[in-house]
Amino acid sequence: MLFHTWTFAIFFATVYPVYRLTKGTRLELPWLLAASYVFYGWWNPLYLLLIAYGTIMDYWIVVRMEKSRRKKWWIALSVVSNLGLLGFFKYAGFVAANLNWLLAHLGVGYAVPKPDILLPVGISFFTFQSMSYIIDCYRGHVEREHSFLRYAVYVSLFTQLVAGPIERASNLLRQLREEHRITREDVSDGLSLFVVGLFKKVALADYLALYVDKVYGAPGNFGAPALALATFAFAWQIYFDFSGYTDMARGIARMMGLRLMLNFNNPYLADSLGDFWQRWHISLSTWFKDYVYIPMGGNRGGTLLTYRNMVLTMVISGLWHGAAWTFLIWGVLHAAGRVLTRELERSRFYRERVPRPVKQLGVFAFVTFAWIFFRAQSLGDAWLIVSRICAGGIADPAFPLLALGLALAVWAYQFLYESKARTMLEWAPVRVSLAVVLVVYVATFPAGAAQKFIYFQF
Amino acid sequence: MQGVANKPPPDVRPRSGIDLRFGSNAMRLSGRQWAVAGLVFLAFFVFAPSLWERAEKLDPPPDYRLPYDLSSDYWLFSRCARLAEARGEVPVLGDSVVWGQYVKRDATLSHYLGERAGAPQFANLGLDGGHPAALAGLLRYYGGDIAGGRVILHCNLLWTASKKHDLSSEKEFRFNHPTLVPQFLPCIPCYTETGSKRLSIAIERHMTFFSWANHLRVAYFGQQDLPTWTMEHPTADPLAAMRAGLPAADDPLRHEPISWTARGVEKQDFAWVDLETSLQWRFFREAVETLRARGNKVFVLVGPFNEHMLNDESLKVYAARKRTVAAWLEANQVPHLVPPPLPSELYADASHPLAEGYRLLARQLWESADFARFAAR
Repeated sequence: MLFHTWTFAIFFATVYPVYRLTKGTRLELPWLLAASYVFYGWWNPLYLLLIAYGTIMDYWIVVRMEKSRRKKWWIALSVVSNLGLLGFFKYAGFVAANLNWLLAHLGVGYAVPKPDILLPVGISFFTFQSMSYIIDCYRGHVEREHSFLRYAVYVSLFTQLVAGPIERASNLLRQLREEHRITREDVSDGLSLFVVGLFKKVALADYLALYVDKVYGAPGNFGAPALALATFAFAWQIYFDFSGYTDMARGIARMMGLRLMLNFNNPYLADSLGDFWQRWHISLSTWFKDYVYIPMGGNRGGTLLTYRNMVLTMVISGLWHGAAWTFLIWGVLHAAGRVLTRELERSRFYRERVPRPVKQLGVFAFVTFAWIFFRAQSLGDAWLIVSRICAGGIADPAFPLLALGLALAVWAYQFLYESKARTMLEWAPVRVSLAVVLVVYVATFPAGAAQKFIYFQF
Repeated sequence: MQGVANKPPPDVRPRSGIDLRFGSNAMRLSGRQWAVAGLVFLAFFVFAPSLWERAEKLDPPPDYRLPYDLSSDYWLFSRCARLAEARGEVPVLGDSVVWGQYVKRDATLSHYLGERAGAPQFANLGLDGGHPAALAGLLRYYGGDIAGGRVILHCNLLWTASKKHDLSSEKEFRFNHPTLVPQFLPCIPCYTETGSKRLSIAIERHMTFFSWANHLRVAYFGQQDLPTWTMEHPTADPLAAMRAGLPAADDPLRHEPISWTARGVEKQDFAWVDLETSLQWRFFREAVETLRARGNKVFVLVGPFNEHMLNDESLKVYAARKRTVAAWLEANQVPHLVPPPLPSELYADASHPLAEGYRLLARQLWESADFARFAAR
């Protein structure tokens, strides 16, 4: 069930009034859980077994961990259970394929059977959300949740179940415990977020996808200009697609009186790679920082260890996105980028002498380059694209001017938003006009049938 | 239900370090501002189609029919139906037989009917590919403007000639006008669109705005959505395309106007679907009932059908089929004509006549007492 479909509109129009009626009563949590399970089961009812298993297992582990002296054993069991599930569904095929490649090269006449499993939507997201609760409980950062229902709602809440933000118990579970009423501001803010997200997805991401899919589907048929523009377009497509989803998710939650964390903060205005990772997929970046980077020692063990921890974190982050060498290379590229630029970013020259727009363009160029590996269908395609772009050449890329104009207009808007001219954008007539234009455009000129979100595959 | 307002306030970073700020853009409207934006959008949603109708020039020449490329422009169909009603013309509804697959617009059934009447009083509202299931949907959702008037409805039994024609085949295939057919019930076995898409279709066809938005796509962007159109015309100005006006009324001939025998078509043995269980026959009856429920005076033309093309077995089935259809129309007091077959050389294929065939068919209609009574009302 996609947010930008009539199916979801009807679903939400049914769920929301009942939610408001039951809010603060004993029926609130059962209703939210039922709605969330219907939402998730819409893709495939069998997925419900998976999320139910994860929820029951983690809840039970925390109950046992609280009473046990050997807390480490319980946390280990949870990590094995969660990562085992994730590993089986997400990485089994990848591991088997690579193992078979290795066996074939070693001349071993045996092939590991390749599991034919469909990756359950959102598994990486709700697994990480559940793990964060257990780790926080273990560390004593959050209290154990005594209500199983509430915990089940925390894991499966339909607003951010399939593609985040990856929430923390200290935020979402706390809000589910608190009694609060939904204000008019919640509804209007939620609507504001939802409409912006809808526009990003329907008018921008799905539009740019047409060009990106065409070029990346057969990169050998295109020259340098088309490949470069398709890469530029993908940078914006993935941003609009993912942040559009997040905006809609946050908007829906906000209408329900729940505040989900900020997940994107104009990442293409970042002036360093470190800054980029504080603006891009913030819920995942902070998850890796809190549960991988810092436990490995963070920046406490000297320069070399810091770099090692940064590299490992980025590589794991790359692999989180998918079981493919392209994602791994993407992670390695970002790791290398961060290691190489960290000292530069700290230098006085870079901080004071290099104009901010130059830094921003540099970061954007690097991030866009790395997206080639993220988007390419294979490593071979990625190398082909890189080599063709580097070789240059002149050919009409046939890139739609309207799409270019829209992407640049959003970029300009973001620059304005982070400048002193922001007050101009906040002038009520501008905001109202903008809202009307966005809704009219989405209603009149949508791009074909509703497309899935890119991050659903992760 | 009572409680304290949410904490923490929107634009602060709480101690947990989790950023709960509103968002990363300035489009944050208050409830009152949303009310204003909502009203403006509602006004656009309601009035844009009618304002567009005033601005978009449609002055159909005699014998106008929907241009072939605009076959899925149901908003324009609706507009043409309104225009026919305003001009006092009798709409002739049906599939490509009415539309005139092998002839130019001045050689169709509606043209010759008008010619014999001495005035162009019949409007060609044929829909290319308009099988009965689509026709029933077209009338239900886009034909409200012809309520109460006289209507000639064409019944083409070719749509019951096989499970595929009848849409009762279990095997999925793409058929014409899927957005006009019932999305859920009755179940069309060969239609396997996703539930979500079906729901969208079912909702949007009740709203004029969406059929108008589809009109923009079909009429100005080559039946594509705007983004796809810009992929093919990367430097073109979409607004200029919209200012260009509707495509011309004159269609080139779709097919060479030669007879089926000259085309080398062999005699056929159709795998007819049982009429009792036929989906298309059911939808045809629904179309008649929809029209009659709206107070239309309906005249049904059963055929033409190229009986010369049928082998003996098929011919027997077809003859029985005609009798069954005529009996149903009789029982329901629907004036109708089951004309005798046209001469073989006047058919271009299984059901489409050539120009001379339409002329002859018009004469047969005018010679029928039922039709003369119907037309004289």
